[in-house]
Amino acid sequence: MNDAGEIIISVRNLKVGYGENVVLQNISFQVGHGEVFVILGGSGSGKSTLLKNLIGLYTPLEGEVWIEGADIIAARDDERRHLLRKFGVTYQNGALFGSMSVLENVRLPLDELTALPEPLKELAALAKLKLVGLAADARKLPSELSGGMQKRAAIARAMALDPRILFLDEPSAGLDPVTSADLDLLIKELAHHFGITFVIVTHELASIYEIADRVIMLDPHARTIIAEGQPAELRDKSADPWVRRFFNREPDAVASGLHL
Amino acid sequence: MNPAAAQSVLDTDLQFGPAGSARVALRGRLDAQTTVTCWNRLEKHLRGTQLETLEVDASGVRFCDGAGMALLRYLSMGQMTPQAAVSVHGLGAGLEQIFRGFTLQDYEAFRPPTRVKSHPLPEEVGCAVRQAASDLRRQIEFLGSITANLLPTLLDGKRMRWTEVRRVFELAGANAVPIVSLVSVLVGMIIAFEAAQPLAQFGAQIFVVNMIGLVMVRELGPLLAAVLLAGRSGSAFAAEIGTMKVNEELDALQTLGLDPVRFLVVQRITASILLTPLLTVYATFLGVAGGVSVALLLGFPLSLIFHQLTSALHQSDVALGMAKGVVFGAIVSAVGCLRGLQTQQGPSAVGVSTTRAVVTSIVLIVIADAVFSILFFVLKR
Repeated sequence: MNDAGEIIISVRNLKVGYGENVVLQNISFQVGHGEVFVILGGSGSGKSTLLKNLIGLYTPLEGEVWIEGADIIAARDDERRHLLRKFGVTYQNGALFGSMSVLENVRLPLDELTALPEPLKELAALAKLKLVGLAADARKLPSELSGGMQKRAAIARAMALDPRILFLDEPSAGLDPVTSADLDLLIKELAHHFGITFVIVTHELASIYEIADRVIMLDPHARTIIAEGQPAELRDKSADPWVRRFFNREPDAVASGLHL
Repeated sequence: MNPAAAQSVLDTDLQFGPAGSARVALRGRLDAQTTVTCWNRLEKHLRGTQLETLEVDASGVRFCDGAGMALLRYLSMGQMTPQAAVSVHGLGAGLEQIFRGFTLQDYEAFRPPTRVKSHPLPEEVGCAVRQAASDLRRQIEFLGSITANLLPTLLDGKRMRWTEVRRVFELAGANAVPIVSLVSVLVGMIIAFEAAQPLAQFGAQIFVVNMIGLVMVRELGPLLAAVLLAGRSGSAFAAEIGTMKVNEELDALQTLGLDPVRFLVVQRITASILLTPLLTVYATFLGVAGGVSVALLLGFPLSLIFHQLTSALHQSDVALGMAKGVVFGAIVSAVGCLRGLQTQQGPSAVGVSTTRAVVTSIVLIVIADAVFSILFFVLKR
């Protein structure tokens, strides 16, 4: 759902990597308000590295990342902390704090960063858990949840402070198709009803067709964006045969060295 | 009025009507900041009153986040005014839908808190004893398994994986040299310094050298080497094998038909048994050197010091020190590997294993040391 056309994230000429090793360069894109934006690419194409640079965990080698009109890279530490509260992030394995119950995990940002009275913090956290379908499991420890439930709990925690943007790293990795489809539905609902902007790193094709308004595709050889657009459009009309093959899920027997 | 300023504040209008009725009109922005002020105001005026009806007019709310929604729900569930019939109305269509997404039933389903059951003392003691017994049993089983595997693997060159032995030898032995040097020299010097003063009162200061020789060769050399090995490498063994367990690598080994003891443990124990005597000799030598340097500072000539040392030490003392080194090395590596193999699931499991590895190693080293002392005393008679 792309309304009003307000640009909420703007990335300009980003170059990311580790020391001498450049993983990606010439990365520029914009994400509009309420959009579900997917960063796509094969294994090892630097998707997660790009995400960690976008959210300020890593410092890019060059370039700018503007989130809601503020430059997150140039920001001072206190400004950055303030900026960080505007978006939520979930990690590949959920990254829930193992020693706290699910409810305590979701309450943690409210406890630490707001002055709300106890009952309201509990209610607000419970409501977020209800939203992701975990209200009944609020008192469980993360280790007592299944993989899909942990991912949903992580989304609830990321949403605790009502951010306008959610960054999700491989939300459907390791989930069964039904759970994965549930998660897609949740993402669509959140984008539609709450106007949350999503930036999602994934390579699950089924999810991408379902949720993505727009995708960018990264390539490990070119080390940059090789395609940008709507998924169905890229599948049918991309000039790059590799992109078409990716979206049609065709094997690349020559490249993978298989001689069947 | 500036519209932006109007949006950033919340106006709470509270009116009491006739016959126990009250009306709250909210206008503006209901977010994490304004909700706190609003809560304080309502709490002050509504809590404890005998209201019969409470009407919440939210038609003026322009923005409402999760915190504001929690306040509206708290009011509508009658948590602040238990006797009153509460109605919340006037929310925009989108907010209304979100508001209805969490009901009193959801809240009450969560309410009953699970009580942490405390166990009676006899039960706790029983559990602890049982745990200790089963732990001892597992240690004995493990010892059996090592004994059964060590010799056949050593004799079968292909299966031994000597490259792994070499790697462990370097990591646990060669890389430990700097820390062993520092600690041994300092301990030798400290003991010599501390002993020199009381011995001087009896005119027996030269016997500092005899003492440092005996103490280092028989006790502290092996002990220092073993304790440092436990801290550096026993913990590393537990962490390495524990991480493999958590990552299901041990399961993978077993399904490939490989025994983890033969594949991982034997190499570490072999390397430790080979390197601990060397580390012991090195620690002893540097400890003695530390003590000797103090004796030199006290003004004794080197030839006298050397004479005292050779007269104080016998071959049997050196043999005892080396034997201790071998046994301590076996203990540290076996305990490290056992704790690694015993790693449970969960995020803190590897940390628990490494802690247990170091603690058990040190306890067993001290016990073994005591056994050595008794044995030596009995044999000497």
